[in-house]
Amino acid sequence: MEDLRKKLLTCEERLTYLSHIKAGDEWGNIAGLRENLLTLRDSFYDLAPEKITTKVKSLEEGLHFLETRCEENLTPMERVRIVRSPLRFSLKDILENVYEDYTELGGAEETNIDPSMVAAKANILRRAKNKNFTQQVMVIGQEKGHGEEYRNGGSCKPWGNEKALRYMQVAQTEGIPIHFYIFTPGSFPIEDYPGAAQQIARNIYTMTKLRVPLISMISEGGSGGAEAIGLSDFRLMCSHGYYSVISPEGAAAIEGKIREGGKVPAELIESCAERLHITARDNLKLGTIDRIIEENPLGAKHDDFSFFKKLRYEVMRATDEVVLKTKSLRAFRAYELKLEKSGESVMDEPQIDISWDLNEDEIKRLLQRRSKKYRQMAKDSYGGRTANLTSFMQRLKNNTSKAYYSFRYDILRSQQKQVKQVIKDVSGESSVFFKQLTAPFSAAYDFIIRKTDGKNVKLPVSGGYGDALEFGDTYTSPLANEDRTVTCPNSEKYGCKDLWVPDLYGEFCGVCENCGHHFPLEYQWYLKHLLDRNSIREFNRTISAGNPLSSPGFEKRLQEAIRKTKRHSAIITLEARVMGVEIVIAMLYSNFRNGTVGAAEGEKFAQACEKAKLKRRPFLAYIHTTGGIRIQEGTLGVVQMPKCTMAVREYVDSGGLYIVVYDNNSYAGPVASFLGCSHYQFAIRSSRIGFAGPRVIRETTGSDIPPDYHSARNALKRGHIQGIWDRRDFRRNLHKALHTMGGRNLYYR
Amino acid sequence: MKEKVLIANRGEIAIRIAEACQSLGLDFVLVYTGADEDSEHVRRYLDSKSNKNRAWRISNYTDPNDILSVADYTKCTAIHPGYGFFSEDFRFARRVTIRNRPLTFIGPKWEVIKDLGDKINTKRVANKLGIPTIPGTDAPIYNEIEAEAIAENILEKQEIQGIAEPSVLVKAAAGGGGMGIEEVLQPEQFRRVYRQIQNYAKRQFGDGGVLIEQCLRDYNHLEVQLVCSRHNERVYFGTRNCTIQSTGRQKRVEAAPGFDSSCFSYDFDPDDVLNKIVQYSLKLADHVKYDNVGTWEWIVARDGSPYLLEVNTRIQVENDVSARISYLKKKHPNLIREQIRLALGDKMGYSQKKIKFKGACIELRVVAEDTRRGFQPWIGTISRFDFPRHDWSAVYTHVPFDRPYVIPSDYDPNLALAIVWGADVDEAKERGRRFLNEVVIEGENGKGEPILTNIPYLKDNIDNLLRF
Amino acid sequence: MDDSYVNEILAQYRADPYGYVDSHTIHTGSINFYVKKDEKVEGVSGEWRHISGTKLYSLHREGNDKPVFSRSSGIVSSIRTDLEGKFVEAGEKVITIRYPLKKREIIEKILRRVLVPFKAPERAKYFFSLDIQSRIDKFGHRSVAVKPGDEILTMSLMKRDTPIYYQGEPGIIHSVYFQPGITMEQDEPLIGICPAEKLPVIQKVINRVKAEWE
Repeated sequence: MEDLRKKLLTCEERLTYLSHIKAGDEWGNIAGLRENLLTLRDSFYDLAPEKITTKVKSLEEGLHFLETRCEENLTPMERVRIVRSPLRFSLKDILENVYEDYTELGGAEETNIDPSMVAAKANILRRAKNKNFTQQVMVIGQEKGHGEEYRNGGSCKPWGNEKALRYMQVAQTEGIPIHFYIFTPGSFPIEDYPGAAQQIARNIYTMTKLRVPLISMISEGGSGGAEAIGLSDFRLMCSHGYYSVISPEGAAAIEGKIREGGKVPAELIESCAERLHITARDNLKLGTIDRIIEENPLGAKHDDFSFFKKLRYEVMRATDEVVLKTKSLRAFRAYELKLEKSGESVMDEPQIDISWDLNEDEIKRLLQRRSKKYRQMAKDSYGGRTANLTSFMQRLKNNTSKAYYSFRYDILRSQQKQVKQVIKDVSGESSVFFKQLTAPFSAAYDFIIRKTDGKNVKLPVSGGYGDALEFGDTYTSPLANEDRTVTCPNSEKYGCKDLWVPDLYGEFCGVCENCGHHFPLEYQWYLKHLLDRNSIREFNRTISAGNPLSSPGFEKRLQEAIRKTKRHSAIITLEARVMGVEIVIAMLYSNFRNGTVGAAEGEKFAQACEKAKLKRRPFLAYIHTTGGIRIQEGTLGVVQMPKCTMAVREYVDSGGLYIVVYDNNSYAGPVASFLGCSHYQFAIRSSRIGFAGPRVIRETTGSDIPPDYHSARNALKRGHIQGIWDRRDFRRNLHKALHTMGGRNLYYR
Repeated sequence: MKEKVLIANRGEIAIRIAEACQSLGLDFVLVYTGADEDSEHVRRYLDSKSNKNRAWRISNYTDPNDILSVADYTKCTAIHPGYGFFSEDFRFARRVTIRNRPLTFIGPKWEVIKDLGDKINTKRVANKLGIPTIPGTDAPIYNEIEAEAIAENILEKQEIQGIAEPSVLVKAAAGGGGMGIEEVLQPEQFRRVYRQIQNYAKRQFGDGGVLIEQCLRDYNHLEVQLVCSRHNERVYFGTRNCTIQSTGRQKRVEAAPGFDSSCFSYDFDPDDVLNKIVQYSLKLADHVKYDNVGTWEWIVARDGSPYLLEVNTRIQVENDVSARISYLKKKHPNLIREQIRLALGDKMGYSQKKIKFKGACIELRVVAEDTRRGFQPWIGTISRFDFPRHDWSAVYTHVPFDRPYVIPSDYDPNLALAIVWGADVDEAKERGRRFLNEVVIEGENGKGEPILTNIPYLKDNIDNLLRF
Repeated sequence: MDDSYVNEILAQYRADPYGYVDSHTIHTGSINFYVKKDEKVEGVSGEWRHISGTKLYSLHREGNDKPVFSRSSGIVSSIRTDLEGKFVEAGEKVITIRYPLKKREIIEKILRRVLVPFKAPERAKYFFSLDIQSRIDKFGHRSVAVKPGDEILTMSLMKRDTPIYYQGEPGIIHSVYFQPGITMEQDEPLIGICPAEKLPVIQKVINRVKAEWE
């Protein structure tokens, strides 16, 4: 009898779970089953045991039927609901069931700097040749809990992400791998120090070159929050999880232009979830993850022990793979062969003893592989890339350029005579090693000397679409061509008079003469007033934004943006001079899809970093406006965050100077990665910088924010940026910055 | 089309412009602020009961939007800025002229206001034309070594000239109004002062440019009154001397002509110097194609060397001082009337030869202020106000004679301009004293204290006119 | 202060428990009204007073249509509809809003007769001195104590700024009656100072009004 009661209870649980996935009882025969179940429960003691047994059995069968149907046709939105179920396994369940033993760090349960982020030192058990070994790893991940309020649903505060960063660095010090577990709907969008966006940016920046193997597993990968601990050498994803650029509800609210507080139709959310390509299979296809871990039908719950066993196998195998690939390809092949031999028993741990320690060379290879992995991401998701032959020529040219620039600035910096002497001295040595070293050196040196003699040697500058950005001698904003006045938004506070538009947008450079408020200006104004006359050379103009996920209706909007701006992406990359100093600039601008970043923008940004690195130019990211990651590109957009940050990191590590200047509005993904990671961030007056806009903040945190919450002034107060620049002083300040900040390896140092 | 003038100013000048318009047969409109409601310039033209009122209440004399909206609504075709406020604001002049419903700006064309409004630029142009300016730089200096060489050079030249205490001024190029100026007497001090000013300029104006020029001490301050038309005609209406100024360079006493041998025995030929500065002024005016009234300000050192200081591209408060020593067909001209007429496109109608100069004239600015306490403005109510009437004097005021008047605290406490003239300087001085003795001003402030005016100060200074 | 005095004042406000706010045009322009007589209007609201009130009228001048919003909630008690669509001068009274007085305002009005006033020495514009202003910004004006000789205000008169030193009983700045940059008539109270020993009396009045006024 007791047994039957338990079975009945389980049935009820399963039914509730099913109706949670289906968001109601309307689907299939859920309602009927529920009715049966309720009558059975109410009349449990009135019926004969046999009768109950049959009834329970038929109930179980009915349930099983429904569950199977449901699993067969799981929609993306249903997966989202599975992931959000309080029954789903959480990080604590993993720590208890996958690892042998663990010690939580930086807080315990509710007593915690941020209970939604858990860090733990854990041991994982490995059996080889019938012996047991334990291996240490650092486990870091969001803890959703099973409905506890203080876990905040795995939505981390900025200091939670900061905690994660701290323990990543501990792992690096100790030389142990890190296992990241991603269970987050997104980061908590508050600006308090260290700041949601800025902290995520710092995490990504650090992870790009963290000197230990990084393995991540995604159950719920909500955009920026996921990236805070998501950059890794091997990305696993649970079969029923989701990984997305934005919550389907958020996407639907944008897509349907739903007013705040208004109801978003369920069908729209459903179709948005579809369009965003958020499932494990989608992501594997897009190349944003490396492998899928199969879960039980309808997703693994906190008590599905077989799943934990599988998970243990998968994370160990992933760690082994990462480690082995740094050693040699042959070692990795042998490992795979062994795995194959063990045949069906894939579920067992590999019976191989592999040390997860890496030596210096291996770490170097680890980082190289990581760099390459991210550099390749979303490579096929934009249009207008140069044809194979030209790109080969480009590579060739780049290689020559590299030699050229390293000579030009490393060697020629000192006296030419001296250099000649050194080379002669070195060449005098008979050692083969020195010969190898000096041979290309001398050749390149000759090449440069010939060039400086004024013979017709063409400088290896990147070619193509030269002077497309040049304007006539005077540039006045087209906004100035109207005889009318406008009210300064601060007029009540500071008594500003109405401004006459031709004065405002002409001579005043869009600045209120009384209070200094900056009215927005088009990006062309900056090109004209920031950069030296006739110094602009745009590159990669043809790389064009695409619609890689074939998002319905997006193609048309994209074409509209192209027609309107006569450009192919939301970013302009160019080389130019600022008061005589050659710099590389990447500029996100508002007119093209609100300056959102997708695969094309990311690629252009990364290439700009590479160009700046190659030519030893300072690198300026001027953000006229960015609305975040382009949601129509799904996770292909999201991976631009680590991809571009990787490019930035490599540029900065090479001794460059990376300056970010925000203008107008800069929000979300880009700020939380390749912009926010800059050591030198400035804002133009009256601009706004932040992670999420006011509406998203209200909707996720439930509280309102003051109107100036994201103002540059507050960003400066919170320590997110280093200074606020007046637009009219931009050029002068930038020039000063170029000379006073960073960059041991810049060409003019 | 019949012209209609909007008078964008207050006080006595608004009245003078209105009267000039009336004498030209032009319709006109005035504006005023709430604080000026009791001013004569409003009361005389305000008839709030009918719709024909000529005075319109605006928020502020410095809000171009209100002024232009009244101009449009009342169908004005021209704007007279008076002095102060918008008179030398090239942006206002530009806006008035290039807006969709353009108006005539009664003043020089905006390009000229812009070019001559920039003192450094004026100096550069003058130097190019061979017009003497105060020895020193005519462009901002950014380099310390260069600056030092210039300073040494200026000091040396003063020594050669036998100047008692040679010194140079170091100024922030972007500054003005006496801020960021330091004097250097010893070459050794220069570097320290230069750096100090440069840092100040960088901090304050974002530009470290510095100007260096000779510091002149013993000098007279002269003005040349030019009147030009839109048709390339340029004449002058003599010179004035405004050496006596209150602190903050507010003029209180001014006289014409610029020098007179009866007052002082100059080390130079005064007529020759006056003629020189007039000719130089005309030369610059010709060069920039100056096309309305303007005043060329000059410094004349004790040895008679003139230096161009700046150009005021507007009608000046003291214009009538020049008019009262000038005769056109045996009558005093009215320069405001000339200004309006010429700005609206008239031809001059006479040449320099027709302008005769005779006698002397003194202007006394009566201000409610405490001359012994740094010319601090006095605030209160005027209960009785009267001036003598003579055929050798004129009074311009917005203070009513027939009712008490509260001095508005928003503006300068100027009460009246008194002009007296005579056959020679001595007579003018004598009449000036007599005039001041006959003036009646009574009033008291909130504490019951009697009104303070600068009349005693004016009396004391009449004797010092046109002297070194 | 005795109770009968307070009673008298309270009775006075009971008879006409309304406050009136006039809206004057801030500048010239042609006016268009967006409310009617007796219409209910909302004032500024929101935690940071960032949500503007009901749009009362707009002034169109030089191509700029400037909306004017109600600052207080209440009823439009008078409106110059005769001006609709016409050109108006600056400073024209166009709308009056009537609103029921709040407890806070009644208290403020009574306190105005109780606190030690510091009066305007001249008809001029006044600002708090930099030091006092920064303390007010930080702690709120009720936490700022003043004593004779303190430089508390800057008087802006004839383009000159003159420091004003406090004279009178020491105490805290309980009420502020002036707005920076707005001309105050001579002898108008600028601030109300509450000496320490008077605090209990004032508290009594406040409690009384709070209890009796609904």
